[in-house]
Amino acid sequence: MRLEFCWFCSSKIYPGHGIQFVRNDAKIFRFCRSKCHKNFKMKRNPRKVKWTKAYRRLHGKDMTKERKRNRPERYDRNVMENTLKAIKKIDKIRHDRAADHIAQRWKPKAAKERREARKELEQSISLIKAPLAIQSQEPAITVPKIKVKAPKQQTVEDQLMEE
Amino acid sequence: MIQPQTRLNVADNSGARELMCIRIIGTSNRRYAHIGDVIVAVIKEAIPNSPLEKSEVIRAVIVRTCKELKRNNGMKIRYDDNAAVVIDQEGNPKGTRIFGAIARELRQLNFTKIVSLAPEVL
Repeated sequence: MRLEFCWFCSSKIYPGHGIQFVRNDAKIFRFCRSKCHKNFKMKRNPRKVKWTKAYRRLHGKDMTKERKRNRPERYDRNVMENTLKAIKKIDKIRHDRAADHIAQRWKPKAAKERREARKELEQSISLIKAPLAIQSQEPAITVPKIKVKAPKQQTVEDQLMEE
Repeated sequence: MIQPQTRLNVADNSGARELMCIRIIGTSNRRYAHIGDVIVAVIKEAIPNSPLEKSEVIRAVIVRTCKELKRNNGMKIRYDDNAAVVIDQEGNPKGTRIFGAIARELRQLNFTKIVSLAPEVL
């Protein structure tokens, strides 16, 4: 039994799932489910389809896979034993690193939200409280003075002229 | 799912290019043929100056289908086209070369010569 990877979304294909498509040049495309198969038939490029691993790795959303070394090693019992013991820890480290990568991506969001909230408070406080009320009651919140050009006041003479 | 009137590509160098299925060998009123079934076909298109001519009735074994082939381990394989290899009454291929991938099922059905000539067995 061998776990393959879906050609389109890069998820693991367990036995009994999915379809393999053999092209006339004998290249095999494995798909995990009909969603991926149908996208392939539509000739969509997985690197452009947002929910695939290919897109996420390409655009830095997910941690890129470490380089796989396919060179076979001579069987050494000690190496084999140590590897089997270490697999659990290696998996945990990989999982943590991937989670860290995503956490780092989300880090600047909290600071940005705070900045935007402060700016909105300064600008739109008048939606909640009238400017005069703010000035008299809470000197802590300073509303920046907004200069408005006053319309030219109609003098009595102008009004008589209109009539 | 090959049935009479289905056009198939020819996957060997026997001289035929395109076959049209006429009949499926096996039980009477069998509806569809899959990979490994023998069919009676008529040659619709042939390479010029070859031993096989157009509108000759011959037998062929199906080696690739667009319909998925289901295996006992749950694997499903789908090919890009429908293809057959021209054979004689005993089951030996008429051509000397096979083109394209062949399904592993043919070995169990005693088409060993075809499997041995195939460039890729999947």
